[in-house]
Amino acid sequence: MAIDFQESTGIAFQALRANKLRSLLTLLGTIIGVTAVIAVISLVQGMNHYVSDRLLAQGSNVFWVDKIGFEMDNDKIREALKRPDLTVVEAEAVRDALGRKAYVKAEAGDNEEVKYLQKKMHRIQIKGVAGDFQLVDDQEIEIGRPLADVDVQRRRSVAVLGSEVADELFPGIDPLGRSIQAGNRRFQVVGVAKRKGSFFGESQDRYVQIPYGALLKLVSYTPSVSIGVKSADAGKFEQVMDETRAILRVVRHVRPGQPDNFGITTPEAFLGLWRNFTATAFIVVIGVAAISLLVGGIVIMNTMLVSVTERTREIGVRKALGARRGDIMLQFLVEAVVLSLVGGAIGVALGISIALLVGAVSPLPAAVSGVAVGLGVGMSALVGVFFGVYPAARAAKLDPVDALRYE
Amino acid sequence: MGVLLDIEDLHRVYHVGTEDVHALAGVSLRIQEGEYVAIMGPSGSGKSTIMNIIGCLDTPTSGRYRLKDREVSSLGDDELARVRNEEIGFVFQTFNLLARADALHNVELPLIYAGVPPAERRRRAEEALASVGLADRMKHKPNELSGGQRQRVAVARALVNRPSLLLADEPTGNLDTRTGDEIMALFGTINAAGKSVIVVTHEEDVAARSRRIVRLRDGKIESDLVTESRAAVAGAR
Repeated sequence: MAIDFQESTGIAFQALRANKLRSLLTLLGTIIGVTAVIAVISLVQGMNHYVSDRLLAQGSNVFWVDKIGFEMDNDKIREALKRPDLTVVEAEAVRDALGRKAYVKAEAGDNEEVKYLQKKMHRIQIKGVAGDFQLVDDQEIEIGRPLADVDVQRRRSVAVLGSEVADELFPGIDPLGRSIQAGNRRFQVVGVAKRKGSFFGESQDRYVQIPYGALLKLVSYTPSVSIGVKSADAGKFEQVMDETRAILRVVRHVRPGQPDNFGITTPEAFLGLWRNFTATAFIVVIGVAAISLLVGGIVIMNTMLVSVTERTREIGVRKALGARRGDIMLQFLVEAVVLSLVGGAIGVALGISIALLVGAVSPLPAAVSGVAVGLGVGMSALVGVFFGVYPAARAAKLDPVDALRYE
Repeated sequence: MGVLLDIEDLHRVYHVGTEDVHALAGVSLRIQEGEYVAIMGPSGSGKSTIMNIIGCLDTPTSGRYRLKDREVSSLGDDELARVRNEEIGFVFQTFNLLARADALHNVELPLIYAGVPPAERRRRAEEALASVGLADRMKHKPNELSGGQRQRVAVARALVNRPSLLLADEPTGNLDTRTGDEIMALFGTINAAGKSVIVVTHEEDVAARSRRIVRLRDGKIESDLVTESRAAVAGAR
């Protein structure tokens, strides 16, 4: 091909500059399509990282056992609530049976108002814990000490505070040794846990941790516990889970052939649900983007057809000077691609800005990936080629005599 | 000097609705290299048609057209484009410069389609512009140039790829008399340097500059006369 790309792109940019407003309007569809794709991919990817980071930070080799398990269906949840409660005794049985293979904790919770002198906090999660809670939760202590086995055994009224509770109730005061009121009971503060941060905007530091036995004094019923198990050897996670299940079936008298009367939840189950959700969001957005790009492409085609008509004489001149069909074809094809690429570039910039803005003002994190940018640019280039072919072919086929005579 | 073009019994029929219009009805014409020929005729005489065919923009319905010993009457689109690029330099009545491009880029166009590398085509375009007296106007766009200057850019563009033939269609039609004379003087210089020139015109003044006038009427050659030498014409004025 005699005419080089440099010449074609030069012509294309000249034409774009000559009709700035028209070019911008032409590009609207492409810009919207690419913006949507980039913004959504960035946000979903950001959230994916965030979710898996946080879930894995909780320990990928931790699983939880409770009455319901990981269940989304309302009927099944109602059915599961009829199962017998899990008890701290069953948790102990699991802990004894697994021995050194795993750490096992039991936890039950309640929400209460928490007070120190005039300061109050509403709906604070009171966690009653037993077993290897510190190891299973990776809890670290900022000041003071963690709850000890002896606290749990003797059901002492002592508490470890989440950092947010400590900060709010004891601003500038050392909380150690002081008494807080939770519900109708008083607890002596023995320690403050290290800050864990928030998960999707929800603080993980708004809690008061007390011995399980102390919780029973606070609430008027015996709550069903959830059992957290952390495999000591991450490689034996599956094996530990199988054994836990077998033990619980025995202690909860499940006959062979009957389904479990408890549920096991793994971090993977959460991740799976999350991925399902984001995949759906993805498909919806891809659909919207595809429609915008289709419309954008048709608009580009229309603009190119107008451009070919307007420049019929120029095409005639170029042909008179020796331009072949391929040269003219390439010129208009490059122009369409440059047009749509400019739209794509604007879309990429806008999409990234939106993602970063959302990331900055909301707890939703954003991750800008090269894949998303490449996808946006690639899509817009494809739109340009696909919808540019027809107008370019029309230009290339023009008869030089007619084109030169065109007014 | 060899034969530049040899046309034999050329016919060109247009279909207008259900009617056939014989724009050319058997034209034979031979032009030697280095000649300066004017093609004249009233409108509808077929002079535009024969110009389009000589310029390889159009092909005849029947007949033969040999340009520099090559039969071009049956070539395809892309081959004709190549012949136009290498053998023909066009000068149009309305200049037909690209409005968005400067003079230099306009003159470079034929070289771009000839595949000449950028540095060389720039050098040759500058040379061509200098030879028509526009060395100081290379970066000007057409709308920054006068009519005469525009037509000189067009002449530079026509000559830049060293064609065998300069083919002009009413080259002074959009110019005032004085500027028109300047352009025609330029054509004279170009022809004197050995380039074949064909001018299609209806102006006797313009035709009188040539050394041979071919008159067409109703698609046929009415007369084909060698005029007095140009010097004699100039002296007679």
